Amino acid sequence: MSSPGDEPDRAPSPAGPSDQGGTSVAGTATVHGSRDAARDDLLGYLSRNTMDADYALVAARSAESGRSRDSRGSRWATAVVLAVFLVLVMTLFTQTTQNADSEDNERSQLIGQVGQQQKALGERQGAVARLAASNTRVRAQLLTGTGSGLIGRVERLGLRAGTVAASGPGVLVVVDDAPNAAEARNRVLDSDLQKLINGLWEAGGEAIAINGQRLTNLSSIRQAGAAINVNFVGLSAPYQVEVIGDPDTLPSRFAETTSGATWFDLQQRVGLRFSMSVRSSLELPAAERTPLRYATVIKEGDDS
Amino acid sequence: MIAVLGLLVGVLVGVVLQPDVPLWLEPYLPIAVVAALDAVFGAARAFLEGTFSDRVFVISFVSNVVLAALIVLLGDKLGVGAQLSTGVIVVLGIRIFSNTAAIRRLIFHA
Repeated sequence: MSSPGDEPDRAPSPAGPSDQGGTSVAGTATVHGSRDAARDDLLGYLSRNTMDADYALVAARSAESGRSRDSRGSRWATAVVLAVFLVLVMTLFTQTTQNADSEDNERSQLIGQVGQQQKALGERQGAVARLAASNTRVRAQLLTGTGSGLIGRVERLGLRAGTVAASGPGVLVVVDDAPNAAEARNRVLDSDLQKLINGLWEAGGEAIAINGQRLTNLSSIRQAGAAINVNFVGLSAPYQVEVIGDPDTLPSRFAETTSGATWFDLQQRVGLRFSMSVRSSLELPAAERTPLRYATVIKEGDDS
Repeated sequence: MIAVLGLLVGVLVGVVLQPDVPLWLEPYLPIAVVAALDAVFGAARAFLEGTFSDRVFVISFVSNVVLAALIVLLGDKLGVGAQLSTGVIVVLGIRIFSNTAAIRRLIFHA
């Protein structure tokens, strides 16, 4: 039973140095049976036929004919070739070291730039927070008398939207990955967190923060590698979710939602850790304001 | 010997002049050098075995370098540049190792 790759005829090896009888030089590679050898043992063939067969061939031929092998001209050619070879090697060395240097330089420059921009960003954010606080003060001063109703409205809306710090009784939910979580399956994913948050809103939550990140109507909860980005800030397990709401009814209402059922399932089957405890007073920070890009105010007379 | 003279001239030119490689030639330089190394080691082995021939050396050197560069060029055009050059370097590396092993045997046992 022959394998499909076999050739039916084994052609004799091409005429080569192995035919040169008595002047074979010990240790040189021969081209004998090259085709079969190549098919059976590629590495062996490669390591046997490493030197140009021409060396043996020319040596044998010149030994036979008695003429000297090379003229002076060809010696100069060898010298030139060797010189070219070394020039190539030196050029490559210098080229590589130069490239490595410039790459290192670029890298440290980039790192420096990133640090600078991060510092500038931090300063700008601090300025924004200060200006927002002074805005609120000035607004309170201006809206006195008939306008005082507006202040209350702004604060209520800010509470709902998450742009104003909030405090009150509520519930603390701590979720964590399964113990010894090796793969993504056993970790808390962004979809799990989203379901949890939706369930908490449904159960009567009025203000929610994850690991100190206040959730607004524009907040995103998105997976980024091993961390979850909330409001574009990377958070990692365990996730502490603070919810301001009615501490008496929230836990039971949450258990009745589909998210509650999903999380019960996750606990049982995947092993995610979940704990909910009542807190008599929680303080949630305000969210950083994200400017509205598409929504504009409806200008239709005054409504109070 | 004239060959040694060539070596010295090459080193001096390389170190002193520090020639700048044109940009279009740069990706082919490393593999050309490896191919050249293979030809040089083959020549050294032939020299130690007594079958050295200048003509064969020059021809094998030039053809190795040109072929290696052509293979890399072809690979780039076909989109398999990395794989082709890996194959070429593997084969050249095996040949270099075999030749150096033979050279070592010839030097220390002969």
